[in-house]
Amino acid sequence: MSASGTFGYGLEFSPFYDISRLGAVVVKGLSLLPTAGNAPQRIVETPAGMLNAIGLQNIGVERFVADVAPRLADAGAVFVANIYGRTIEEYEGVARRLSELPALAAIELNASCPNVKEGGIAFGSTSEGLSGLTRRVRSATKKPLWVKLSPNVTDVGKMARVAEESGADAVTLINTLVGLAVDHRTRRPKLSNVTGGLSGPAIKPVALRMVWEACKAVRIPVVGIGGIQSAEDALEFLLVGAAAVQVGTANFRNPNACVEIIEGIREFFAREKIARLDDYRGGILLRG
Amino acid sequence: MPSKATRFVHGRIVRNTGHGIFYRMEVSIPDRIEFVPGQFAMVSGWPGNDPLLPRPLAIFRAGGTRSRATVEFVYKVVGRGTALLSGLHDGDPLSITLPLGNGFDLGAPDRTWWLAGGGVGFSTVFPAGVALSQGKAEFEMFLGSRTRDQLPPREWIPGGDLPGRVHLCTDDGTAGFFGTVTDAIRERLAALSPPGRARVSILSCGPREMLSGIAAAAAAHGVPTQVSLENHMACGFGVCWGCVAAVRDGDRTAYRRVCREGPVFDAGEIVW
Ligand SMILES: Cc1cc2nc3c(=O)[nH]c(=O)nc-3n(C[C@H](O)[C@H](O)[C@H](O)COP(=O)(O)OP(=O)(O)OC[C@H]3O[C@@H](n4cnc5c(N)ncnc54)[C@H](O)[C@@H]3O)c2cc1C
Ligand SMILES: Cc1cc2nc3c(=O)[nH]c(=O)nc-3n(C[C@H](O)[C@H](O)[C@H](O)COP(=O)(O)O)c2cc1C
Ligand code: FES
Repeated sequence: MSASGTFGYGLEFSPFYDISRLGAVVVKGLSLLPTAGNAPQRIVETPAGMLNAIGLQNIGVERFVADVAPRLADAGAVFVANIYGRTIEEYEGVARRLSELPALAAIELNASCPNVKEGGIAFGSTSEGLSGLTRRVRSATKKPLWVKLSPNVTDVGKMARVAEESGADAVTLINTLVGLAVDHRTRRPKLSNVTGGLSGPAIKPVALRMVWEACKAVRIPVVGIGGIQSAEDALEFLLVGAAAVQVGTANFRNPNACVEIIEGIREFFAREKIARLDDYRGGILLRG
Repeated sequence: MPSKATRFVHGRIVRNTGHGIFYRMEVSIPDRIEFVPGQFAMVSGWPGNDPLLPRPLAIFRAGGTRSRATVEFVYKVVGRGTALLSGLHDGDPLSITLPLGNGFDLGAPDRTWWLAGGGVGFSTVFPAGVALSQGKAEFEMFLGSRTRDQLPPREWIPGGDLPGRVHLCTDDGTAGFFGTVTDAIRERLAALSPPGRARVSILSCGPREMLSGIAAAAAAHGVPTQVSLENHMACGFGVCWGCVAAVRDGDRTAYRRVCREGPVFDAGEIVW
């Protein structure tokens, strides 16, 4: 799957490959009304990673339903909508509207965006906030509900369990880690929003550890994300127990990254004579 | 037929040589491409993850035969990515996504085009000069740099051999006009008669202060001006929303993607 915010609305990748080849296209976070996002500068490169503070610029749920969803369906893509709100009511509104789309495969609740003042991380960083939000959105939609967790918490396993107990069908992790870049000469932060979300290969070890902890904590599927660039990276997430993976920042350097990773996993399974994902998934070998 | 469609290709360096402060790099690619002047490519060619992201470079030239297609870039070393590019040799592999963005609109044939390039911004307006030469359109070039030895080599400049066509500008007065490209344009515009001015259209690429200065001077005389912006980019093809510029949207400000809705914008649209 593609990771939300790194794949636009999916159709942008049609020049590179047939997007129906993906497990799913996860689209850019949608809010009830179109959102302008943060002032530039919005991105900074860091060693083996990047910080972004996009601020969830998006076209709003109405335009997505009217213009984008039919084209994704025509392209044969399985698609998942990532959603965001400043209040619980907004989240519910977006989820309700999306539920009318027969072709939508799932809703991914972004309870973890570090780049907006209200909503997002404010809900995702406490058990009470996450539980309240998940329950309310759960009753607003019959679609499969995935909850995208924040890594900016002390016990991610506990948060995964809270999401599960509140009605999530899957948990997705990790979203970006809060970071800061500052220019030592001008003494100013490099991002207009001051802080941003760190993604890319730099976060992979943290993501792997958190996915592993979440897999131990819940029974529902865990979707692993964070720094995946190659089939080998993706296989490591499957080994710690992820049921599926999403690829984000890697799409920027190599627009073919998602399909190359899918092919690479397929080749590895064929070479190693692994018949089913479940024969490999969660197979990390620990001492003792 | 060369194709205009955007694609991700693996190329190989054919030539990568320094000329003063510039490098010129020719890369062989699987198929010929067609591009609009002002369009660009995302380029990465170094091993490892640091830097992680590809770098945007204007397409300087594209051509070759069917069996041996090439694309050329001109760049200046400013940081890690361009320094690594400058260290690559003939035969080294390079990943390239191209052509990207919307180029210059060279639609109106009866205009006098002024092409303004500041520093390496010259590489973006160069192909517009080539296209205008081929279409026998009237154009003049304004090329600026800090000092004489930071100007592009004369033989790279379309129309460079035609007197009066190229106005070199240096901040320190060591060659051509003593001052910036913006100063030169401001003076030329003021000196023209109103009917002369009414035929001028400006295409420009360079540092932001240069572009905003030209935009203000041109607006004062009602001269249509296109600017090519060089914002920081992560993807280059419209999926990350990282590269946005503030533009006027009625009486509000909106953010448009420089890589997708740009990099060329009408100067009057931009909130400078
Ligand atoms: C559409 C477009 C076309 C371009 N065409 C050309 C070209 O033909 N030739 C060329 O030499 N350059 C061009 N640039 C600028 C070029 O992309 C940057 O110089 C390059 O990305 C810097 O990378 P670096 O790793 O060397 O520098 P970094 O280490 O990333 O940064 C070094 C310095 O360069 C500045 N910088 C970084 N990215 C950019 C950028 N995108 N624009 C301006 N300054 C930047 C940084 O603020 C910093 O001060 C273009 C940019 C865009 C957006
Ligand atoms: C530019 C950018 C925009 C993002 N926007 C969103 C978003 O709208 N919603 C969301 O849930 N996650 C968003 N993310 C987070 C990614 O989906 C992903 O969780 C994170 O980047 C880690 O994966 P990666 O290292 O493979 O990029 C964004 C990430 C980036 C880099
Ligand atoms: S660089 Fe990603 S949207 Fe422009």
